[in-house]
Amino acid sequence: MKKYRNSIVTALVCFLIVLVLNFILPRLLPGDPIAYLSGFAEEDMTAAQYERYASALHLNESLPKQFWYYLCSLVNGTLGYSFKKEAVVSALIMERIGSTLQITLPAVVLSTGIGLVWGLHCGYRKNSLRDRLSTSALIVLNTVPSFLIALVLIILLCFQHRIFPYTGLSSAVMAPGVHGFLADRLLHLFLPVLTLTLGAVPSRYLLMRNTVRKAAEEKYVLYARQRGLSDRKIQYSYILKNIAQPFITMVGMSVSLCVGGSLVIENIFSVNGMGKLLTDAVYTLDYPLMQGILFVTTGIMVISIVASDLLCILIDPKVRWGEELA
Amino acid sequence: MLGLLLLLLFLAAALQPDWFTSYGLKDMARPWLKPSAEHVLGTNSLGYDIYTEIVYGTRDTLFIGVMSSVLTLLLGAAIGALSTRKGLLGGLFNGLINVFVLLPRLITLIVLSAFLGTSRWHLIFLIAAFSWVGTARNVRAQVIHLNSQPFVENCIIQGYSRFHIVLRHILPNLYEVLISRFLLGINSCIMMESTLSFLGFGDLYHPTWGTMINFAYKRGAFMRQAYPYLLMPGVCIMGLSLSFYFISLYFEARREAIQN
Repeated sequence: MKKYRNSIVTALVCFLIVLVLNFILPRLLPGDPIAYLSGFAEEDMTAAQYERYASALHLNESLPKQFWYYLCSLVNGTLGYSFKKEAVVSALIMERIGSTLQITLPAVVLSTGIGLVWGLHCGYRKNSLRDRLSTSALIVLNTVPSFLIALVLIILLCFQHRIFPYTGLSSAVMAPGVHGFLADRLLHLFLPVLTLTLGAVPSRYLLMRNTVRKAAEEKYVLYARQRGLSDRKIQYSYILKNIAQPFITMVGMSVSLCVGGSLVIENIFSVNGMGKLLTDAVYTLDYPLMQGILFVTTGIMVISIVASDLLCILIDPKVRWGEELA
Repeated sequence: MLGLLLLLLFLAAALQPDWFTSYGLKDMARPWLKPSAEHVLGTNSLGYDIYTEIVYGTRDTLFIGVMSSVLTLLLGAAIGALSTRKGLLGGLFNGLINVFVLLPRLITLIVLSAFLGTSRWHLIFLIAAFSWVGTARNVRAQVIHLNSQPFVENCIIQGYSRFHIVLRHILPNLYEVLISRFLLGINSCIMMESTLSFLGFGDLYHPTWGTMINFAYKRGAFMRQAYPYLLMPGVCIMGLSLSFYFISLYFEARREAIQN
């Protein structure tokens, strides 16, 4: 039980730090916080406007009270108000989060899947030709920045051969429900997902391979081999069960890796997702929107990592049966 | 060996850029020239030679990478070592490590650099402030391992102060962990910096390779088919990362040889 509590407490503290950071930053930096929170320069405002924003943002009240209002805005799910876009931040984010997830989730599944199978194979037959080749190839791929992968793919597949479209998530003529919408969407999703997967596979693979390598030296593997079990059986029924925990933790980490990566990818492929929203917010100095995005993405990552932690504890036979025995 | 050669090449480009190119950074030619014998990679939207820009960008890229990696190492080693202390202090730093593991690095960096404004030193401090977790965890594991070794126990029995033990006995034994974290840290810092610069948060007065790609992308190198302008800075990042990786491989091989 103590383990559950620890991981949950850490997650809460992490959340709290992001909250406090979000709250303090505009108030701590040089300059009038009103400029940061409304997104307009204070010199450009009339006195009446200034008053209006000050009371709308509760800046004329005491700090603890301001913090309370801030917490309220989080609890009721609005996350503040973007004066630049004249909309509630959470609505803006909800509008865009779908596209980001459409890119991120397939990439997470693909990269962890490929990493697992490939790593299992190569870690099991260590120092075979295939292992050495694929390991060195992926180490090289690991040093390639993700935007370079995206640019190369665009140049090769969009400009030279015109196989894939390179902007947006669907063609202009397509609307949901029109015949061929799904195929069109898949065609558009292919390159961003491929880029993100290529960017994430090497680190997943290397992690898996090293874990499997260690596991393959254990005595139970030797014993299983002596009994004449097939390699496939040993890999998937014996080793996989023993490395399940690091693998699940890795999946949790992949989510945060891919969400971060998709920020870059979305900008290159002009996908209207959260990454695009964030860069828009940065260029227009829309601070409330930035803080909202930071809050939401931290939320996604913390939840995914804590979920993987809990899952790890749940499937641990020591925990499962330990409680019955005790 | 290959890593060392590559690194030397990049270092030379960083220290003496005029050895490699006959053009100055701001020498203008016609814009968007195709690659030719005079301009190896062509020219950009203002007519600057792209190859020259890359050579001059080496210094800034390396500078940010190395500086933030040094800072990362110091922070990570200090916090990692402190977190092994017993009592409240150790618990506090250990908690700090656990919390920072969860933070989304790239997004926090983007938001913070938007708030703080972009300059070289801001970038270096920000990158270091969010990259030390890996080092700290490694150091922590290693220090815990060392603390249970007989020679540390021996020192305690002989009555040396904790300070002395950490500085004279534990730190030298961390050497291998630290050096490999340092070399790979440079890679991840350069990667982080170029991603941020590519998104437009770089220091415009000290253009790095990431900033170059950002310019190339924004000023329509796609339309003009100036592919070298888009790709070469990225390839350089790759080469630099590989050179540090090879060097760290060398240290690893040496360690294994000693152990056997």
